[in-house]
Amino acid sequence: MRLVRLLVLGTYALFALLPLLWMGLSSLKSRADTISPSPRVVPVLAEGTAPDSLAFPATLSAYGELAHAHAGAEQSFWEHLGHSAIIGLVSTLASVVLGTLAAYGFSRFRIAGAKDWLFFVLSTRFMPPLAVVVPILLLYRRFDLQGTHVGLILLYTVFNLSLAVWLMKGFVDEIPRAYEEAALVDGYSRLHAFARIIVPEARTGMAVTAVFCLISAWNEYGFAMTLNGNGAVTVPAYFAGLQGNIQGMPWPQIAAGALLFVAPIACFSVLVRGHLLRGVTFGTIKQ
Amino acid sequence: MERASGWLRYGFVAPALALLIAFNFFPLAYNVVLGFSDAELVGREWSAVGAKNYAHLFAEPEFAQAVRRTALFVCLAVSIELALGFAVALALHRRFRGRDALLTALLVPMMLSPAVMGLCWNLILDGNYGILNQVLASVGLPEPQWTTDRDFKFASILLIDVWMWTPFMLLIALAALNAIPGTLYEAAEVDRAGRWTVFRRITLPLCAPLLGLAALLRTTDALKQFDLVMSVTGANDARTQTVSTLLYQVVFREHHVGLGSAFACLVLVLVTAVATVFTRYLERLRRRPA
Repeated sequence: MRLVRLLVLGTYALFALLPLLWMGLSSLKSRADTISPSPRVVPVLAEGTAPDSLAFPATLSAYGELAHAHAGAEQSFWEHLGHSAIIGLVSTLASVVLGTLAAYGFSRFRIAGAKDWLFFVLSTRFMPPLAVVVPILLLYRRFDLQGTHVGLILLYTVFNLSLAVWLMKGFVDEIPRAYEEAALVDGYSRLHAFARIIVPEARTGMAVTAVFCLISAWNEYGFAMTLNGNGAVTVPAYFAGLQGNIQGMPWPQIAAGALLFVAPIACFSVLVRGHLLRGVTFGTIKQ
Repeated sequence: MERASGWLRYGFVAPALALLIAFNFFPLAYNVVLGFSDAELVGREWSAVGAKNYAHLFAEPEFAQAVRRTALFVCLAVSIELALGFAVALALHRRFRGRDALLTALLVPMMLSPAVMGLCWNLILDGNYGILNQVLASVGLPEPQWTTDRDFKFASILLIDVWMWTPFMLLIALAALNAIPGTLYEAAEVDRAGRWTVFRRITLPLCAPLLGLAALLRTTDALKQFDLVMSVTGANDARTQTVSTLLYQVVFREHHVGLGSAFACLVLVLVTAVATVFTRYLERLRRRPA
């Protein structure tokens, strides 16, 4: 049994982690080495290597290249990363604020049809972007929101509200009611009690919720490519747009950029690892 | 629950709900209208054409084909990920040194961008310069064109999806295993129950509700499959066409907004059906004593 367990774990770990390692190695290559017909696996600090050797000269030039716009593109990787950051951070902030307010409302008051509302909120998450994007595109055209930061920020805020409301409701439910009741008795207004008692108590929950909202805004591709194909192009849409490029795919830059792009998310997921389960199940499983 | 505070309580929930209603009902309603029109992506003039788009949807086989392929993709992806995730969870259940670090590392893929990672998988799967074929060649095995051969490309997309989302199943399966009280296993040991009996009578039934939740959550997500297909084969590939990529092809490449909206309406009906099953299941799960 022990052997079987080791075998399952070992094989799966290789399957899960080797692609990430390969991405890291590719980012250290020259373009010729990423598309070489023989395997190039071992990075070495040398000027050149034999054509059929397993080694390849490691270089950081792909990371330097990220500052230049690739042929056919108008902006460099860093500018696209900037668009991703602005859109991701602002929409996350908005989702968490609105989500916390709504979660507090659902947690503490008798709201007519609360259960139906909550399930409505959850079900908005199931909409395939491509099935709802056309009306939004026509609307955005009319209001000149296509290809802007504001357009995607608005959309991602709404898209993430389902997650924010459900996650925050779980966290707010866990804050004892007695805390704010004491404050209310002391003459605090309801809003005051919310700001002074609930918000500080829900800090962890808000941080966890923010991480999960940021991850889905950061990774989103369907809306990004259809609405922001020109102007305020986020990183996933930018990279995917390089396909079919006349000069071929700039693989080392893509690997380097992808690594830089996913690194913050990987760090965040380690930070919230204790709450991962809650995050991915909309707070329905708590541990 | 408080009765006081009057309208203020609605003030807390109203902004979020108003945004959600606006951004969900508007597209739904507009989709219905556009679905009965001959609207194109360029030009603002359009007129009503009755049910012509729907007739077209049912006459052309590619639409039914995309629905079937998406369903096949969802079934295969969810069952493979569930089985693999559960197997890894069983192997990872017992504590050992470095277990938490390993688990954290194994969970990383599901956090990453599917569009970007799908693109990077081309470096592994490409028929000529991909590392997979180079390794296969070095041990004398055949080298299929994973991403361009008509018999392999669907499986390649499935493989990337399994890589991304098995961690999700692993995470939930581990939680399910952790929630089983140890006393049950002790009782089974007293009764001299065999390993297989313990698994079938204790482990599996007690994990089932959470595994069901995981499968449903993955199903609702896999139904949207778009990013990976786009990064491996693109939108116009008959062998890998999913509902979302076909919508993209019809609206953004062929510019048939009316036809695309009609198809979107049908898709939304299907998605709503799945979502209803999901919320029902969730409701039942929550009513059970935890």
